[in-house]
Amino acid sequence: MLIIGIDTGGTFTDFIWQEGNQSGEHKRLSTPHNPAEAVLAGLNHLAGERPFWLVHGSTVATNALLEKKGARTALISNRGFEDIIEIARQNRPELYDLQVKKNPPLVPSELRFGISGRVDPAGEIIETLVEADLQPLLEQLRQKQVESIAVALLFSFNNQQHELLIAEKLKALGLPISLSHQILAEFREYERTSTTLINAYVSPKMDRYLAQIAEQSGAEVFRIMQSNGGSISAATARRESVRTILSGPAGGAVGAHVIGKQSGHHKLITFDMGGTSTDVALIDRHLPLTTESTIAGYPVKVPMIDIHTVGAGGGSIARLDRGGSLQVGPESAGADPGPICYGKGEELTVTDANLYLGRLIPDHFLGGGMQLQTAKVKQKMEDFATQLQLDPIELAEGILAVANSAMEGAIKKISVERGFDPREFTLFSFGGAGGMHAVELAELLQMPQVMVPTSPGILSACGMLMANVIKDYSQTVMLDQQQADHAILDEQFAPLMKQAQEDLREEGVSAERIELQPLLDMRYKGQSFELLVDYTEDFVSEFHQQHQRAYGYASADKPVEIVNLRLRAYGRPDHQLPQQQPKAQAEPVPEAILGQTESIFGGKQQATTIIDRNRLQHGNSFDGPAIITEYSSTIVLPPEWCCDVDPFGHLLLTRKEAEK
Amino acid sequence: MIVNPILLQVFRNRFVAIAEEMGVTLGRTAFSPNIKERRDYSCALFDANGDMIAQAAHIPVHLGSMPLSVKAAIAAIDMQAGDMVMLNDPFAGGTHLPDITLVAPVYVNESETPAFYVANRAHHSDVGGMSPGSMPVATSIFQEGLIIPPTLIVRNGEIDRNLFALLLRNVRTPQEREGDFAAQVMANLTGVERSKQLVEKYGLQQTCDYAGYLNDYAEKMLRQTISAIPDGEYRFEDYLDNDGISTDPVPLKLKVKITGDAAELDFRESARQVKGSVNAVYAITLSAVLYCFRCLIKEDVPTNAGIARPLNILTEPGTVVDARFPAAVAGGNVETSQRIVDLVLGALAQAIPEQIPAASQGTMNNTTIGGIDPRTDQPFSYYETLGGGCGATSLHDGADAVHSHMTNTLNTPIEALEYAYPFRVTCYGLRSGSGGAGKQRGGDGLIREIEMLTDTEVTVLTERRNGSPYGLNGGSNGQNGRNQKISATAERVPGKITCSFAAGEKLRIETPGGGGWGKK
Repeated sequence: MLIIGIDTGGTFTDFIWQEGNQSGEHKRLSTPHNPAEAVLAGLNHLAGERPFWLVHGSTVATNALLEKKGARTALISNRGFEDIIEIARQNRPELYDLQVKKNPPLVPSELRFGISGRVDPAGEIIETLVEADLQPLLEQLRQKQVESIAVALLFSFNNQQHELLIAEKLKALGLPISLSHQILAEFREYERTSTTLINAYVSPKMDRYLAQIAEQSGAEVFRIMQSNGGSISAATARRESVRTILSGPAGGAVGAHVIGKQSGHHKLITFDMGGTSTDVALIDRHLPLTTESTIAGYPVKVPMIDIHTVGAGGGSIARLDRGGSLQVGPESAGADPGPICYGKGEELTVTDANLYLGRLIPDHFLGGGMQLQTAKVKQKMEDFATQLQLDPIELAEGILAVANSAMEGAIKKISVERGFDPREFTLFSFGGAGGMHAVELAELLQMPQVMVPTSPGILSACGMLMANVIKDYSQTVMLDQQQADHAILDEQFAPLMKQAQEDLREEGVSAERIELQPLLDMRYKGQSFELLVDYTEDFVSEFHQQHQRAYGYASADKPVEIVNLRLRAYGRPDHQLPQQQPKAQAEPVPEAILGQTESIFGGKQQATTIIDRNRLQHGNSFDGPAIITEYSSTIVLPPEWCCDVDPFGHLLLTRKEAEK
Repeated sequence: MIVNPILLQVFRNRFVAIAEEMGVTLGRTAFSPNIKERRDYSCALFDANGDMIAQAAHIPVHLGSMPLSVKAAIAAIDMQAGDMVMLNDPFAGGTHLPDITLVAPVYVNESETPAFYVANRAHHSDVGGMSPGSMPVATSIFQEGLIIPPTLIVRNGEIDRNLFALLLRNVRTPQEREGDFAAQVMANLTGVERSKQLVEKYGLQQTCDYAGYLNDYAEKMLRQTISAIPDGEYRFEDYLDNDGISTDPVPLKLKVKITGDAAELDFRESARQVKGSVNAVYAITLSAVLYCFRCLIKEDVPTNAGIARPLNILTEPGTVVDARFPAAVAGGNVETSQRIVDLVLGALAQAIPEQIPAASQGTMNNTTIGGIDPRTDQPFSYYETLGGGCGATSLHDGADAVHSHMTNTLNTPIEALEYAYPFRVTCYGLRSGSGGAGKQRGGDGLIREIEMLTDTEVTVLTERRNGSPYGLNGGSNGQNGRNQKISATAERVPGKITCSFAAGEKLRIETPGGGGWGKK
């Protein structure tokens, strides 16, 4: 069967296809006015009339939220609590700003409705919902011409009755309804309301988009990438679009995870450096998950792959601020005007500094498809250096050093701050600019090894093809340790498991491919931050251990509390992993050597070999300094490092002395 | 020595990262909702003199007061490696008793004296005293809780258990305090470790040099900012409603003199210190002034000792802005600090009207509720502050229902609150129309109504219940706030009082709106 993965990005839509042992890639320009155009054209090009399966990562839901172009949504809450969504958590985003700008709510007050009824923390109904209130509500919603509805009542995760009653009554409107206990059955009302509301806000748009692709592409199976690193059927994604909001970066993390695992690298820090920002994530055997994401300032609490972003990329602009400090980013030259070396830009960027130091090869950029402007960069670098009273080489290396220190900080946030030692991890580099910085970053963090996969430019689309079907379930229970023996927890998990089995069967996953992973959100009683622990035989001591690692202490005598039950349901895909290549000799074939250049490392100019990645074979091994070029990325191998090609064609970069 | 702009930026990233990582550790490992959910804490790194190098952006009221705490600790105790000093004494580096500061020295390369210090300050939701939550309507510091002068609490890596037991015996919620304190120790250990690694990488001399240059950098930024303010003398006067004991308003007066790239702030004509707890120690006045000027700098500068250099602050000892022992001070930190901001901004508005917002709510609406939880028979103590309206600016309406100026905590979610305490929240919403009218409208305050499910003792420490947040350039004042006890009828509760609530009675707090800007 032909299987196609598609990742829609801002500039390009990436396609990867696989059929038996064959595979290939395809890129075409995105069509932001209607992303389906590029998707359908590419599918037509690749599949023609043949039947195929499709996995897709879409930015439609993300953009609806970022651009505030979602549906006209009504929000129903308890009477007297209509403003929860607007009050948010009462804090302001910037501390030192006299002009406090709060994120405006996605629903204006005239579309927020209160309803009678109240549930208490124990799930008891302490005030009943007056059913007679529902008819006038229905009339108002009709009159206001809303396009979707979100319902979020206090403690609904402990008693669903009122939310279900409202949904039943409002069914007559024929509109999509999102219920908070179904989208996120967890306590903390603002975050639950926000997540539910975003679902109602983005789903109608996603629904129309996916309907168009489903109808016009003719895909036999159509799956959508979610932010949690798994895929779901397009049918589910149309109802629960909030789960797809960060699908692109999730694809990259899944790709790294699968490729790393196949090559025997289970501990990875992924490093995806693009034009304006850099994404990093830490994989310690499992994909990292978080339920604390904020998108465009709005909390989205469904599980997502924990990806940290920092505003430094190839297009980040270098400038001196008025206090005399060299700033690199967060302002970016973006794609237009772009760095100086692209021809139109006027301000020095990280990419320009790489070019100045001879780490980007002007003749081989984008496969030679774009000539870089060396002379203009040289002039600007020298002018700026004179202004700063620095040597231009020192300045160019300084621009990289400042950018690298921002990225180093990002990696420390996801590793050191959470109790992981980066020295035990492999830096997994992908994205267009990653390969130029990976080794220096590894040096800063004392990481022993850098891995650059094949086709680093389309890793995200690859990851989508490799993703499991994943569904996440949760339920707040708030149980004390003594109430939480296995019998009680098993009983509480049972309905979630039943639901998961049913849902996955509906997703077309056969029983033997289903895997259920029960997890617990736990904390010491009185804490208000939870740790995610596997629900094992001895989950309490597991919790103490994790607490020790994350926070440096554990108190075995303190009572423990189980806050939420979580269930991840996996359906294993039936994808093909890349196959091992036959081993070649250590010396790369002569055609792989494209020539020599002069690059600067540590302030000194050095003769550097230019290598064509496409000609490298399993078993090749060579020393730096070298610049390895391929269509959409450049990899810098400094003098003290060497490169080996692994059985799957991935590059492993290590320090020379580590070899001996 | 020429300052290298590259190293300056790299060091800045690294210093700030240390303070931020301390904050992450403290926030995550703490026990009490007040610290974890509301993030009422600050972390910072100091040089060998106790001058601040970098502070993580947490709570502005801790800005100027953290360095004074560290200096007080250094003066009192010769800290060895592995030691930590705790303190909360407002008359020796503290601000008010619930804010407990923990200071640790950083020794590097077998040095004889500390090369750096790290410190963190966290608001503990009870430190003893006459009412739960330790924010009482008091007339002397002795009623407000346990006073801790600079005290060696961690010796050579070990907590002094005897001393600690004595402290815990004097507070209402010892287990929570113990958990929070452990988190403070962890945060400092993290800071010490990271500072050492920094020195290992760059050497002591270079690290200290660049710490100094970063102070110069922040100073330069502020001097340039002040230069853009027209020279002159600008006066402003505002009031606290009262001190909670008498009903008289308490006047605060300020004269700001801008000369070139420096500013003098003269508070000496402010009222003498009062009987009630709205007395601010000097550290608070300093914090409020630093906050205002830090806000004027448009760029994201590191918050450090350099910011204080262009500013000369004059106060008269024994006044409400420079209180002396044994004044009650619980409210100075949370309420008077806000009024000092109103004063500074009100004066500056005459010089640079387009850049200054009308008054924000001007209070933190401190609410503490204590009692015995019938579900566990254990005492509980709940403390929260509430957001209100922000002042409008020349360009924008004021934000609604948000923490303004000297605080920036998060609210406690209703569902977290009802799980943890015997309360039921019966209303939580915007207080529509409370923002002052104007070309740009002031932000609205909010309404929070809590029903007691058991008998409780409630303390409110609130401001702008009589006076109201000022509008500017013809904009109207915001509405003043209101506290009520609701049983069969609604009864107005004074702005600062401790009173009993029976089960079934409700506390309703309506927070002030912000002032409007410009004639409508």
